[in-house]
Amino acid sequence: MAGHEQTTPNRSDVKTTKQEGSKKHIIAFIFSILLTFIAFALVMAGEINTDFVYIMLVVLAIVQVFTQMAFWMHMKDRGHTFAIIAILSGVVVVFTCVIMALYWTTW
Amino acid sequence: MAHAHAHAVKRRTGIMDWLTTVDHKKIGVLYMLAGGFFFLIGGLEAILIRLQLMFPQSEVVSAQFYNELITMHGTTMIFLAAMPLIFGFMNAIIPLQIGARDVAFPFVNALGFWTFFFGGLLLNISFIAGSVPDAGWTMYAPLSGTTYTEHHGTDYYVIGLQIAGIGTLVGGINFLVTIINMRAPGMTFMRMPMFTWATFITSALILFAFPALTVGLAALMFDRIFNGNFFDPSAGGNVVLWEHIFWIFGHPEVYILILPAFGIISEVISTFSRKRLFGYSSMVFATVLIGFLGFMVWAHHMFTTGLGPIANALFSIATMLIAVPTGIKIFNWLFTMWGGSIRFTVANMFAIGFVPTFVMGGVTGVMLAVAPADYQYHDTYFVVAHFHYVIVGGLVMGIFAGMHYWWPKMFGRMLSEKLGMWTFWIFYIGFHMTFFVQHFLGLLGMPRRIWQYLDGMGLNNMNLISTIGALLMGVGTIMFLINIVITMRKPKNLSNDPWEDGRTLEWTIPSPAPEYNFAQTPLVRGYDAWWHEKMDGNTKMTPVEPIGPIHMPSPSILPFFMAVGLFIAGFGFMYSKPIDLGLTGIAIGAAGLLITFGCMALRSWFDDHGFHIEEEEILKDQEGKA
Amino acid sequence: MSSHSHVEGQLPHEPERATLEGRNKITGFWLFLGGETVLFGTLFAAYLTLRGQIMDGPAPNELFDFLLVAIATALLLTSSLTSVFSMQAMHRKNTKALIGWLLVTLVLGAAFLGLEIYEFNHYVHLGHTFSASAFSTSFYTLVGFHGAHVAFGLFWVILLLFQLKKRGLNTTTAPKVYLFSLYWHFIDVVWVFIFTVVYLMGKVG
Repeated sequence: MAGHEQTTPNRSDVKTTKQEGSKKHIIAFIFSILLTFIAFALVMAGEINTDFVYIMLVVLAIVQVFTQMAFWMHMKDRGHTFAIIAILSGVVVVFTCVIMALYWTTW
Repeated sequence: MAHAHAHAVKRRTGIMDWLTTVDHKKIGVLYMLAGGFFFLIGGLEAILIRLQLMFPQSEVVSAQFYNELITMHGTTMIFLAAMPLIFGFMNAIIPLQIGARDVAFPFVNALGFWTFFFGGLLLNISFIAGSVPDAGWTMYAPLSGTTYTEHHGTDYYVIGLQIAGIGTLVGGINFLVTIINMRAPGMTFMRMPMFTWATFITSALILFAFPALTVGLAALMFDRIFNGNFFDPSAGGNVVLWEHIFWIFGHPEVYILILPAFGIISEVISTFSRKRLFGYSSMVFATVLIGFLGFMVWAHHMFTTGLGPIANALFSIATMLIAVPTGIKIFNWLFTMWGGSIRFTVANMFAIGFVPTFVMGGVTGVMLAVAPADYQYHDTYFVVAHFHYVIVGGLVMGIFAGMHYWWPKMFGRMLSEKLGMWTFWIFYIGFHMTFFVQHFLGLLGMPRRIWQYLDGMGLNNMNLISTIGALLMGVGTIMFLINIVITMRKPKNLSNDPWEDGRTLEWTIPSPAPEYNFAQTPLVRGYDAWWHEKMDGNTKMTPVEPIGPIHMPSPSILPFFMAVGLFIAGFGFMYSKPIDLGLTGIAIGAAGLLITFGCMALRSWFDDHGFHIEEEEILKDQEGKA
Repeated sequence: MSSHSHVEGQLPHEPERATLEGRNKITGFWLFLGGETVLFGTLFAAYLTLRGQIMDGPAPNELFDFLLVAIATALLLTSSLTSVFSMQAMHRKNTKALIGWLLVTLVLGAAFLGLEIYEFNHYVHLGHTFSASAFSTSFYTLVGFHGAHVAFGLFWVILLLFQLKKRGLNTTTAPKVYLFSLYWHFIDVVWVFIFTVVYLMGKVG
């Protein structure tokens, strides 16, 4: 296991030494708060068509998750190919299960 | 950048060596020993089942014991025999095939073995405790719940598998990272050997399938021990939900079992045809497709549960689709052999025998995939015949092939070809005798899992033949064991490439491999890296680095204790209902978990700086082999 | 024994990726998160199947305390942000700030957990016990698994804080805190789905 203690050159070292935008992350945070607030508001409002609310809730959740994973977990950055494959594969399996569960219980 | 750290060389000896090892080659041997041991237990259970079914209305064993036998046979063979033997090969061979010195996480590798071992131990202790799992290896609700199974049998199953499952999951992650990050320079993904690809896809299947099992087992445990209601209809639960969760895991599981065997067959056929594997890219693509589709077909185990025609049709089609990439593989193997210079070694006999046998199993699979027809086949011996054809005729043959092929690399000696030929023929003939007739038993209406069948139903002769076949398989297995024993007495005097036709990197290093695998990491210039060099007239691989001190991970006793902690915790929680040990049980459970988590904390706190194998030792090894 | 961080005299740019071991850990952890996705996904699928089976117990929209859930969400989301800050501090080689932000993350996470325990206790008194119905069992299992993950994370970060205090930031400790940060973000991602599917959809009916 050569290289355990030694620092070995890493491809994404070459990447960017530009300043890690604190701004980007704070914007992502505010955006997440906003999405959460909208979701809660939609539900608390009460009088809105339930199907529409359901769809909006799912969309809002997915957008928020994308935001957090892309910015906070660096998934939009270089060197995350296998990270994306891993999460995407998990999502595909889950999606299949959830569709089946919904079909089974609501069809 | 060589360091001259004076870390003390931490080599243990004797039993402590085996308890603390983090060396993938030793862990591979441990998996094979334990897997082999459980294979014998599962085989004994099979023989007892067949003895009971030899004649109509027998009472060789009691009905209760029979239920325990069929449950334990299935559970043991799949989880405690087949998977560990596969993991044994993966451990022994993958780092060698990719030119790496170890797996990515040696400590976790050891942990995987010990959790499997203690999970299997817990499961089999049920025999001693007198509460053996008896609701079938699939543990369908509500039979597996507390209403219909009051005794602790199901709990042994749930907890034993939960513990063993953790080991499998971490093992899967380990091989994925190893293959992603630690390939030798020049080994792109499309230059990896097929066994490495198979391991890669299998590990991905493990990663995504086992968490579903984890949830299912946890849910069943909560229902049984903490009065949950997942599968209790009287409280709004749903019994078919168990089937969904179980088979979302269960179907990928069978692909986890067979894909490594496909990989072994690719290696063996190619090597002993002295010919490059036909259609490498399509082989890779087919393996990936099988893996992906494997997650889309689980409800073909549930055609008769009332999912409705639309669901049944979709799953039916998806299941039939899997035959396509599988067929591609079969043709590729045949085209590899065509025009090759074939050597009928025992390994190759098992591999060639695999091809038609697996096809037979595969086509009955397509028959079962036809949902309306499955209403007739379901729960009959037709299904039993199908899955034994693919698992025994497929996977087990693959394992035997791998054993004969890689034994010299693992142990420095060749298994006897003569005895191997006897083993092959006796096992192969015995196998077909046992399971071919079972297709017809099923079509005649003999149901699965029955303890006795009536006389005068037309089932007598075929059951008798089936039992004799099983006994033959037992003889074949014993012959293999004898082969191992006599082989271990031979001297370790083999070359790096004892088959002389080796194509892949494991055949470029000594047999058995030294502790550090590669004295110098090799440069890979193509697929079948070693063959590539041989065809260019080279007698060895080009190294990418000079000989220097090699850093090795330290051995550790922590994985062993982490597994023991889980074992103790399992028992504690299992007996924690008020009627058993109550709060004492919870306390024992907590204590066990504390041991496990405590060891994890220790591992995090005390960094492992490893030790170095110095140049002198490496040079001495090289001279010894000159 | 921290000679490892001084190989070149100073810490490399992304210390968590500077060693093979670090890169292996990061790759391995992402894969593990893929598996966790399936774990929680299966729990969600089971919950979706059983959420209508309330038997005699209280219905979701009568039961759930939305103010509490909103506050809990804000706490966890903020703790995820503070863990981002801790990673930025790490990349600026500012060990003190790294430790500081991790401490804030710990406190916010503990507050989240405390609120959740209070919430569960409240529900139990309203008749929503683990054994009441299939809905309640699947609710406590799903949300409880998440809470258990939060609890594990808290123990983990405490252990890491001690290590950082003792040994400082080097190429061995950097991957560990990076992994924790990934884990913590993932837990927040799962929570987004929990408050959406369990609480908000529960309210809608």
